[in-house]
Amino acid sequence: MVLTCPVARGRTTQRDRALGHSRRNILRAGALLALGGTVAPLTGCDLFDRGDERDRVPDPLEPLAAQARELAARHRAALAAHPGLAPLLTPIADAHEAHAGELAKLTGRPVPSPEPSPDATATGDRSAVLAALREAEQRGRESAATLCAEAPADRAALVGSIAAARATHVEALR
Amino acid sequence: MRRLQAPSGPAEALAGALAAEYAAVFAYGVIGVRLADAARTAARRAETAHRSRRDALVLQLSEAGSAVPADKAGYTLPFPVTDAATALRLAVEVEERTAAFWRVALPHTTGADRDRALAALTDCAVRATRWRRTAGVTPVTVAFPGRPT
Repeated sequence: MVLTCPVARGRTTQRDRALGHSRRNILRAGALLALGGTVAPLTGCDLFDRGDERDRVPDPLEPLAAQARELAARHRAALAAHPGLAPLLTPIADAHEAHAGELAKLTGRPVPSPEPSPDATATGDRSAVLAALREAEQRGRESAATLCAEAPADRAALVGSIAAARATHVEALR
Repeated sequence: MRRLQAPSGPAEALAGALAAEYAAVFAYGVIGVRLADAARTAARRAETAHRSRRDALVLQLSEAGSAVPADKAGYTLPFPVTDAATALRLAVEVEERTAAFWRVALPHTTGADRDRALAALTDCAVRATRWRRTAGVTPVTVAFPGRPT
């Protein structure tokens, strides 16, 4: 597992000196790698070289997890603007967060926090807000359905449930 | 309705979905007569949708040379349906249980079969949401449709 980032490791001496890491820290990191190699192999690369994302093989489900977080953030923003929608939107936002959590468990990759969305989903009257959320859920349903079709057997059920959940959100927001 | 068990392969997974569709068609016969107006129309539509999934599965399994489970004359309902409220509660339950069988079929299928299983899971989940709304159940959605709770 540790050998997944030989290039990054080769460069560590120079980089770490430049960053002022002590020899002890590097040794400690090495020990952590040896201990935690099977748990989080890519963290090892990050320890030595945060900038080198090319060594990191992306998981096809990472965008789905990021989208789940983004959808949750949209619902929370809408809630802040229209607190009366809480009974409808809170369970949906919670579901998206649960999806992101389950996907992170499955992929072993942490889910990035969503960037603040420049498009103002939460502005406008209630019906405009709901229409924008419906559209976002519909797009989310389509991307999850595409990923479900391509998913290996051990991932199909979770991704399928997420696609179905997003379809129910479209329905609930009508 | 049968209890959900892990199927050994695609044929068994689809046979499980077929048994669930038989039971759903039966249940909607009981549900429909307890509902009126728009709810009754929705029940009839749901019944038609389950019939069409049932027919497609019978065809698919027999074309593949797999065992096709037989329909039964009757199914034991999880509780007595005596009025509109219990009819709506059963409708939610039928859709949730059928969704679970289709979800279980996903890992055992690929290509067009996987797409059909996902479409069926999604349709069941959406109908469950509509029935919860009609019944006044909140929230109207669940986080993981088809996943046993």
